Amino acid sequence: MSRQELIGPQGLRQDGRRANELRKIKCKPSVLSQADGSAYIEQGNTKCLAAVYGPRETRQKAQLIHNKANINVEISLAPFSMPQERKKRSKSDRRLLEIASAVKQTFEPIIMTSLFARSQIDIYLQILQFDGGTIQICINAATLALIDAGIPMQEYVCACSAGCHENHTLLDLNNAEEMADTPELTVALLPMSGKLTLLQMDSRLHVDKLEPVMNLAALGCKEIYQTLDETVREYVKDLFQKSSPY
Amino acid sequence: MVKNSLAFEAETFRKIQPQEYLRRFIQGNIRPDGRSLSQFRPTTVNQSCITTTNGSSMVRIGNTTVVCGIKAEVATPKFNSPLEGYLVPNIDLSPICSPKFKPGPPGELAQVLSENLNNLLKSASVLDLTSLCIKEGIAVWVLYIDLVCVNYDGNIYDASVIGMITALTNVKLPEATFEESSGLVKATEELSVTLKLQRIPYSVTVALFDGQHLLVDPTEVEESITSEQITIVFDEVGQLCSIWKIGGLPSSPEHLKQCMNIARERYKQISMIVKSSI
Repeated sequence: MSRQELIGPQGLRQDGRRANELRKIKCKPSVLSQADGSAYIEQGNTKCLAAVYGPRETRQKAQLIHNKANINVEISLAPFSMPQERKKRSKSDRRLLEIASAVKQTFEPIIMTSLFARSQIDIYLQILQFDGGTIQICINAATLALIDAGIPMQEYVCACSAGCHENHTLLDLNNAEEMADTPELTVALLPMSGKLTLLQMDSRLHVDKLEPVMNLAALGCKEIYQTLDETVREYVKDLFQKSSPY
Repeated sequence: MVKNSLAFEAETFRKIQPQEYLRRFIQGNIRPDGRSLSQFRPTTVNQSCITTTNGSSMVRIGNTTVVCGIKAEVATPKFNSPLEGYLVPNIDLSPICSPKFKPGPPGELAQVLSENLNNLLKSASVLDLTSLCIKEGIAVWVLYIDLVCVNYDGNIYDASVIGMITALTNVKLPEATFEESSGLVKATEELSVTLKLQRIPYSVTVALFDGQHLLVDPTEVEESITSEQITIVFDEVGQLCSIWKIGGLPSSPEHLKQCMNIARERYKQISMIVKSSI
């Protein structure tokens, strides 16, 4: 692929954003009636649905942990979600398993699992439309769904990706930017304490560039946190008004 | 006298005696969710919602939600039908939509539904498959119709049929031509070709409770305590496309007649809902 102009002379990217601008986020909690907690998030053109079931009885005795809850994450990509060919990615596809494992390990220390010994918390993520940023949208959707399910957590977990292209640090890469050979870094942050829970990068990045890219991603996480928190507060306010007798 | 009464809360009663619970409601001609026996849940349809597809739709009947996406690919036609393309429907019932589905390969219900959808497309001749031909004997379009259920609250079949048909109506394909010299199929960037459906079938599912009460559009709870379901499919000119009632208690021809009338009425409702969703 030829070296594309990811960022034009006016500082605008292919989709019209600036270098440090997030994609438009739309999120809604409690969208599914059968799940204990659910959420729907859109980040730009990537759409993800999360459902949380739990805490409930462990399905397999082998997964039972005597002093805390077992967290199980499953990610599935709808066959029509990829922009090119239809890809029937089986659930045991290695890339999906890797992302699911990353999400599980991210949430394990955050969810207060010691409150629910011998039980299981299932997080199911369904990606309906893909335009880059799988890990970040999965983590954000899972956070919102866990809050909706009422599962106690220490903090929100917000994730964001960032990259570097010709001296510009870009925030929140879409599929075209991910494919264009730019180094991509995904960061998951605990916004209130400022601590990092996940850091993933798979390409070559100069050590000097690491800090600015990481800082930009952290800023993106904080912005996403603002949006998620606002959504949750509005939703709860709405529920409270509806259930109040006055 | 000491009265020994066991007073249960409604919710407890529902869990212990689900059939008796439903019976009490039906005696008052109403169902637990407030609907009458012949009332459908609010139905909404969203078209062209997934941009990575050639055609898509999202259907909600009450809480049951199905997302349908169609992707088109090129393939070689079958040897004995060199002019025909393929329609491949498949529904995915995964643990995300309900706690009753376990993770793993598609279970019985998913496979039965996929097969039923396939039969409907074939037997009702919904699309003239020769319209999917690019070059006789060499290249045809294959339309993969993938349905993902995201919330399962009963009557998944009706939702899937509406989803599948509306997604087919908004499919946009590129113009494809077969180049003799290179042996490749070239397609335009622009998606301008739409499909002309020959028939537009919609289905109605009715559950039969206690051998006598017809519960239209059953919820998951109602489905689990009735063992009989009748599904009737009509098309746009009022012709019957298919009926099935598999197993369960025998039901009278009267019930079938009632179901057919209900199905005819509902067809008009669904048509209007779909028209207003474009």
